Amino acid sequence: MKFNIFRAPDGVEGGAPAGPPVIAAPPVVHSSGPVGPTKIAARDVSVFYNGKQALYDVSLDIPDKTVTALIGPSGCGKSTFLRTMNRMNDTIPGAKVIGRIEIDGEDINAKAVDPVLLRARVGMVFQKPNPFPKTIFENVAYGPRIHGLATSKSELESVVEASLKRAGLWEEVADRLHSPGTGLSGGQQQRLVIARAIAVEPEVILMDEPCSALDPIATAKIEELIDELRERYCIVIVTHSMAQAARVSQRTSFFHLGRLIETGDTEDIFTNPRERRTLDYITGRFG
Amino acid sequence: MTDATVTPAIRAERLRAGLKRRYAREGRFRLYGLLAIGVAVGFLLLLLGRIIEQGHTAFYTHTVTVPVYMDPARVDRAYPQGTNFELLVAEQQLARLGVVDDAQSSKATEMRGLFSSELKFASAARIQNNPNLIGQTVPIAAPVSDDADLYFKGEVSRATPADQRRLSDEQIAWLDRMKASGLVTAHFNSGLFTRGDSTEPELAGVLGAVVGSALMLLVTAFVAIPLGVGAALYLEEFAPRGRITDLIEVNINNLAAVPSIIYGLLGLALFINWMHLPRASPLVGGLVLALMALPTIIIATRSSLKAVPPSIREAALAMGASKTQTVFHHTLPLAMPGVMTGAIISMAHALGETAPLLLIGMVSFIPGIPHSFGEPTGALPSLIYIWENASERAFHERTAAAILVLLAFMIVMNAAAIFLRRRFERRW
Repeated sequence: MKFNIFRAPDGVEGGAPAGPPVIAAPPVVHSSGPVGPTKIAARDVSVFYNGKQALYDVSLDIPDKTVTALIGPSGCGKSTFLRTMNRMNDTIPGAKVIGRIEIDGEDINAKAVDPVLLRARVGMVFQKPNPFPKTIFENVAYGPRIHGLATSKSELESVVEASLKRAGLWEEVADRLHSPGTGLSGGQQQRLVIARAIAVEPEVILMDEPCSALDPIATAKIEELIDELRERYCIVIVTHSMAQAARVSQRTSFFHLGRLIETGDTEDIFTNPRERRTLDYITGRFG
Repeated sequence: MTDATVTPAIRAERLRAGLKRRYAREGRFRLYGLLAIGVAVGFLLLLLGRIIEQGHTAFYTHTVTVPVYMDPARVDRAYPQGTNFELLVAEQQLARLGVVDDAQSSKATEMRGLFSSELKFASAARIQNNPNLIGQTVPIAAPVSDDADLYFKGEVSRATPADQRRLSDEQIAWLDRMKASGLVTAHFNSGLFTRGDSTEPELAGVLGAVVGSALMLLVTAFVAIPLGVGAALYLEEFAPRGRITDLIEVNINNLAAVPSIIYGLLGLALFINWMHLPRASPLVGGLVLALMALPTIIIATRSSLKAVPPSIREAALAMGASKTQTVFHHTLPLAMPGVMTGAIISMAHALGETAPLLLIGMVSFIPGIPHSFGEPTGALPSLIYIWENASERAFHERTAAAILVLLAFMIVMNAAAIFLRRRFERRW
């Protein structure tokens, strides 16, 4: 299989609803106070993998300078939705995205938008820390380098330093910038990957279960970091941990069987869910 | 359910018995493994031992230094090459040993048979360089003939019945006397490494074949590696999946199994008959071997590309690297050790390949040492083939020596490639 390793994100195989047909009801939207201007607007986004529908008509506004959590049981389409926002689904053969996604009002699936440039604006952090098998410095410098953002060595060095500082990793690696990034601990690797993502000054950072491979202490550090990064970026995080969603996010969207069920302020969703399925999920009755 | 009858004691007993069987099975399996390795190593040692035993004598040889009186009546001053130095030397040697020749000069003929033809060329060269030597006695050094060399190495002895050896009793007696008088010296056979092929074993060397093989492999490496890696990269990373790609994949796998002589035929038809490239040249040989090496390199490269963790590709793509950047910055460097391994294996294979060379004219007697890619040349495996078929007995030890040279060539080449691979190796 070509790019067989680029398999569809988790749960896609069983992504199509197998249970009783879900009536396509519009998601419950909590009326919420202003969090920030809308950064990303998704309208009727559906995703198909080899003809199988994994995401059904999702419409969602994601505010800027806010952490938006996508929660839901495995295979609910939250990772799939995340990947539509930087067009990573393009790299999966047989994947088809329909609907409209706008960032700052611009349709990212338009022909004129180059996915390469889009991904410079929308960074992504994966479930498993995936630093390049290069030095710490080279890892962070990679983005600025390929996008031609730093013109001199000193400029590059300062970008690397600033990114590592913002990712809270500088103190730990300042004396070994030229040792391999793969030699760091899991939590450090994940922060390195975040530093790598923010080195190109993206506007949006997508995080796909960034802490699921980490221990609680490393998780706490990443969560702290996410909270700090919120001030500069629009962050969308997919998480399996309800507690994490509650801790780091201001907005939460609940997905189930490929549909967006409920969305609103995190506090509202967790204290006052209006949908039965949301309540069942956040109280641990399924998922 | 019959669970009720299984008491804990019976369960424990069953577990123990099962465990015992399991360990026994594991022990047997290890033994089979050791046996397999033992047999393989045994055969290897046997093979190497046999070759070394046969070939080691080729690495030294004997030279005779004879004082030659440059008889003004016999030596042609204007054209020394035309002088029959062999007869001159033979007669002088006979005279020194006090042997009286018969009317047919049969003794002189026998005496001539003890020296290699190098004696004549060396003498002529001396006169050519300095005609004033005519009339003087000049010591001339030259290899002894192959038969004499074998006698000195103890491979022919007086005990052998006279009709089964190429040296007569008299010749043996002369050789003994020459050796006793200190004219014959044993030394390292440097000629084996500095000369091209020759019909006379004592003057035959492997240099022409070594250079030919090296030039050929250069062509192979420069054609097959970039082409193979490029094809594999395209097929693995860029080509759309589908019937056509599958068909290509199946065909590449089949090509890897095509007998090499078929590639020789293809080379003959394509490169020599159609493109009119010079026959038996390193260029044609290298191209044929490159065709043969391509499938192996493609298969090895593809499988090592497949083995690169997907997370690295995703990371690069998510950073906004283009597909080409992802491939060349990340995937290919990580796959490099595997690519190098494939290249090493196919190059080593190409080095030892003989069958395709048969068809493009490389198994013919080519005494020269090639200086370019277009000259006719031999190659080590074809030289081994030629020498093995030669009737002179002295070629037998040289065949084994040539095999050792081929093995050494392969070891040097592989060591260099492995050194390179180490430098590419990175962990992730």
